[in-house]
Amino acid sequence: MGHHVAIVGVGQTHHARRRTDVSQAGLVREAVDRALADANMEMGDIDTIVVATGPVLFGAVNHPELWVANAIGAQGKPIVRVTSGGGAGFAGALAGYYQVAGGYAGRTLVVAYDKLSEGPLQYSISTLYDPFWGREFAVGIMGFSAAYWRARMDVLGHTEEAAAMVSVKNRRNSIANPYAHMKKEVTVEDVLNSKPLCWPIKLLDVPPISDGAAAIVLSNEKLAAKSTQRPAIIKGMAYCCEADNAPERSLMISEPLAIAAKKVYRAAGITNPRRQFDVVEVQEPYSCFELNYYESLGLCPPGEAADLVASGATDLDGDIPVNPSGGCMGANPIGAVGVVRLIEAATQVMGRNESHQIKDAKLALVQSGGGWANLRGCAVLSA
Amino acid sequence: MFSAPESMPLDMPTFHAEISLPYTLTPGRAAGTFLAEMKNKRIVGSRMANGDIVAPAQDFSASDGEPMTNFVEAPQTGEITAFTRVDGNIIAFIRLDGCSNQFPHRILDQLDNVKIGARVKAEWEDGVEQSILAIKGFVLAPDAEVGTVRALDEVEEAIGSLPYSMALQYEHAYGPYYGRMFDEIKGFGRVMGVRGSSNDDALLPPREIDDITHKPTGTWKTCADTGTIRGCSIINMEFIGQTLKPPYVYAEIVLDGASTRLIHFIEIDDVEYAKKNIGPGTRVRAIWTQGERKGSMADIERFEVIDE
Repeated sequence: MGHHVAIVGVGQTHHARRRTDVSQAGLVREAVDRALADANMEMGDIDTIVVATGPVLFGAVNHPELWVANAIGAQGKPIVRVTSGGGAGFAGALAGYYQVAGGYAGRTLVVAYDKLSEGPLQYSISTLYDPFWGREFAVGIMGFSAAYWRARMDVLGHTEEAAAMVSVKNRRNSIANPYAHMKKEVTVEDVLNSKPLCWPIKLLDVPPISDGAAAIVLSNEKLAAKSTQRPAIIKGMAYCCEADNAPERSLMISEPLAIAAKKVYRAAGITNPRRQFDVVEVQEPYSCFELNYYESLGLCPPGEAADLVASGATDLDGDIPVNPSGGCMGANPIGAVGVVRLIEAATQVMGRNESHQIKDAKLALVQSGGGWANLRGCAVLSA
Repeated sequence: MFSAPESMPLDMPTFHAEISLPYTLTPGRAAGTFLAEMKNKRIVGSRMANGDIVAPAQDFSASDGEPMTNFVEAPQTGEITAFTRVDGNIIAFIRLDGCSNQFPHRILDQLDNVKIGARVKAEWEDGVEQSILAIKGFVLAPDAEVGTVRALDEVEEAIGSLPYSMALQYEHAYGPYYGRMFDEIKGFGRVMGVRGSSNDDALLPPREIDDITHKPTGTWKTCADTGTIRGCSIINMEFIGQTLKPPYVYAEIVLDGASTRLIHFIEIDDVEYAKKNIGPGTRVRAIWTQGERKGSMADIERFEVIDE
């Protein structure tokens, strides 16, 4: 067993549909300044850096970590870039976690961002498809996300109404989130009547497109006390993949997420996730994803996600609040989202969430991923 | 002793693909101000907290990470610190007088005349704005006086965003498995996969190793051009790069005789009809394009629902 790893400082930008006042590097700088200040550190205290972003095609800058390193004063430091679609931020945090857990770094800065106002989103995402096999028919991730949701409707009862409830809940929670930019309450009827984009996905099932950055400072347990008396300790963290064109691939449950959850729960001593977790933060690129995650993370058995959201259990005042921050519905700077979810969960167990502190939250679950089901991970944070 | 495997590269036809994307890039305050000032034929730099002058202007010091303190006007003279020739153009690093950094630009002269340390002066291109190419290049100016950095009281408002585009050309190698699959489609209008390591169903696209067993795959097998939908959605939105006008159905289809899905389109007339009648389990048939086939999945024009 390596070192214990804790999140000791966090910072994120005020996310926006379009930030024309800063470049990609300037956006990163804002989040880094805030995280370092929060961790009571300067850049000189940082041993290693991980920069995480979505595909290069989002922002048309190759090797963006070089541009970023210049802008954050990281000259001469070990720096790597991690990219993994929508899960880029989470994968970057995992790379940082490995460095600290393995003893190669005492303190690691992880900064994740995307500036999605700059390029064509669905087209860029469509290049994740095999150029020979499917790309000419691709519809970003929305086409297949909607197709799998459609398949789950029949078998698991993930109805349009149930997904609409997720959107309603998360949009309501976003209103108090100071970093969110989409703050508008909607009703289930609003969602159901909103414009179909890739039916069953409709406009209000889809989060906004955002510019934003988020940073965390990871520290080993010895150094953590220099930053805070109450760090968020990472009790387990994993990120798994599946083969896109493999036979026997289930469209029903996210298999890589279930595998990751099993590993992480064992490491963190979780046997009853619904009862043990005080708060959950998931990355829901569309409302229907959240239903799938309830089941893949074991918050309810397969086929009961619609009942779970309808019962109010995942509301802010429910027994298992999911996305008190509002999740992606408040802001969705894709590459940064994995780190944003970690920040929201970390501040919950640190007892200092700015908008929606869950009373006495001690144990938090974080989920993040890229693609519909290809790459999925989760982490457990504790006080 | 190490012996090289007996495989030699072969020159084979490739698959051409283009990724062409429009952007609206945000330069940020410093670079945005530099670009805005191009129309005034002024080179805007930044004064950093440690006293360094950097031109073109940058928001943060690359040496210590501190934010810039104020804008300055850099002189239009400087010296060459490095150079090369690319496509007949001489590209050099230039350090403007009084500045601590270097930046790349064109030298408007012959290679033989260019020396490290040579004095140069900016030459402007009329009619170009919002681009560093408003500076046409730098000309050799051996007698140019050493310029001085001047304070700037007022600057143009920074440019918030700039249009940009990228068109990337690729030549993808098919490899033996994709190569045969597309040859079969082109030559015979049939979709072939390879059997899994331990069952008769074909893997599409064909591949060398079975994903589930991690063992070599089996023999080639022709799949039917009929199949069953596993998942589908109705595309209503329009987006850049789209190849068909909405609405249409995006479908993941398992061909009869295969174990994996392929992605394709189903044309529809009526969205409400499609919602009710096209879904997981729906049977479909490939409609091939008329005329000569190209050897790609687009040789199947679309799928249509089988009336059974």
